[in-house]
Amino acid sequence: MAESDWPAAFSTLQPFLGWALATEAERTHKRQTSEMADIQAFYVAMLSHLEDVLVYLNQFPLERLPSHAQQLMDMTLSLAEIAPAVELFGQPREDDTFDPFRFVPQHH
Amino acid sequence: MSATPNGTPANGNGAAGGYKWHNKYPHLGTGPVPADVFTSQEQFELERERIFKKVWLNVGRVERIPNPGDYFVQDLAVCNTSVIVVRGKDGAVHAFHNMCSHRGNKIAWDQGGTCQNFTCKFHGWSYGLDGKLKFVPDEESFFDLKKETLGLTRVAVGVWEGFIFINVDPNPTETLQEYLGDLATGLEGYPFGEFSTTSTSWTSEVNANWKVIKDAFQEVYHIAFLHKRSIPDSFTSKDNPYAHSLDVTLYPRHGSMSLFGSADYKPSPVAKLAAQHGEIVIRSDFSADGLPAGVNPLRSEAWSLDLNVIFPAFFVDVSQGSYFTHQFMPIGVDKTLWTSTQYYTKATTPGRRFSQEYGNVIFRDIIMEDGRTFEETQSMLSSGAKKEFYLHDEEILVRHSHHVIDQMLTGQPVDRAFAANGKEAASHA
Repeated sequence: MAESDWPAAFSTLQPFLGWALATEAERTHKRQTSEMADIQAFYVAMLSHLEDVLVYLNQFPLERLPSHAQQLMDMTLSLAEIAPAVELFGQPREDDTFDPFRFVPQHH
Repeated sequence: MSATPNGTPANGNGAAGGYKWHNKYPHLGTGPVPADVFTSQEQFELERERIFKKVWLNVGRVERIPNPGDYFVQDLAVCNTSVIVVRGKDGAVHAFHNMCSHRGNKIAWDQGGTCQNFTCKFHGWSYGLDGKLKFVPDEESFFDLKKETLGLTRVAVGVWEGFIFINVDPNPTETLQEYLGDLATGLEGYPFGEFSTTSTSWTSEVNANWKVIKDAFQEVYHIAFLHKRSIPDSFTSKDNPYAHSLDVTLYPRHGSMSLFGSADYKPSPVAKLAAQHGEIVIRSDFSADGLPAGVNPLRSEAWSLDLNVIFPAFFVDVSQGSYFTHQFMPIGVDKTLWTSTQYYTKATTPGRRFSQEYGNVIFRDIIMEDGRTFEETQSMLSSGAKKEFYLHDEEILVRHSHHVIDQMLTGQPVDRAFAANGKEAASHA
């Protein structure tokens, strides 16, 4: 990614590029293997910009996102992935749940 | 039944006195269910022969094979076979046992793809998309080979609303339409095709009997407990704390349950934004406007979704804007392939894609809570410590399912028994 492509309005999200993951399996792995503090930090940063990020992304067709927009898109998908951990469970994985690594996505 | 102004089912079950679903279907009785049906190898072999090898089984949807030559392979351990499902040159869906006529080798070793012919890797015998034997290498050295009689062995196949069903009985006693009966009629016109342009699917091999898994997904009694963290206020409310369902309809083998949706539901911050940008699974204001009569049959304003349990092991659970399916394929008495799939209209905008991803994640996380019970339950069932189980009035689909299985295993005519006792008899005449 060219440094200049990243929208200035979302500069505070750049430290979280590690969450720009293309597949559900990768996002699940990141959620399940991250510390709750890191998940929480990503959640707070993303949520504060989420509305603007979605408006920004919606100016592009989903199938032809520029590379920096694709990264932002994948970060919103990671937010969806970790939202239950923050909003419902207070931990990456519930105590009383099926092994997430055994529930295998058949899609990407 | 009418809904109170805040949408709570007006006639509670036991709490308000009376047993709502038992009173509607008294022929099912109130007795316990025997525990050994989940662990008995003998029972499982009977289920294999008298149920799974006799009835229509869902194997997927037509979107998976849109063009001639597209195929997928469905392993059916419970029917002792593997089946190729293919879109023919005639545009129709065909199904064949995945077996070469020469010496029995499995024809397709992969899980699917696109091809012009099915060619056996063993000796190169080649079959058309219509199953006809087209080419035998060094044919002159065979003796009286009648190629026209040596095609792939057909498996009966039917398509309903885009769902592909097969029946390994060489002579099915009823058509798919007859098998699905009034359940199908009530759902016809639901936008299954439109909602099936995007699907997300998860699968797992679970160490549990198929009925343990099925039963977990066909009752609401567990919601307030097992799902207390994930969906604390979606299906329950102050006035309906145990998620009593809105309606239940039983068919000779299948069953439907219409689920309450709570106005108490408070979306989380991410859920709120997801809802603004598209559709998600859980909402408190779902509407059945424009949907067929079999969906939200009471037209309740406090509706969330309907469970439609197609016997023996396929669920089509419909809501507004999306639907999902569960499929349970038995592998052995205590091993089952569990597949759940969520369906949406294809997202064209990033906002909608985000919304659908949230819907996927929350759906997945909820059903993984159900998933935890499967092996925990099976591991204790095998102890034999309990001989029978007691069912709640809201567990009537569980009771019905066991009743139907028992009838089929003991050779009783299911339809007649139902008609003799059930109030819905007239609609099945």
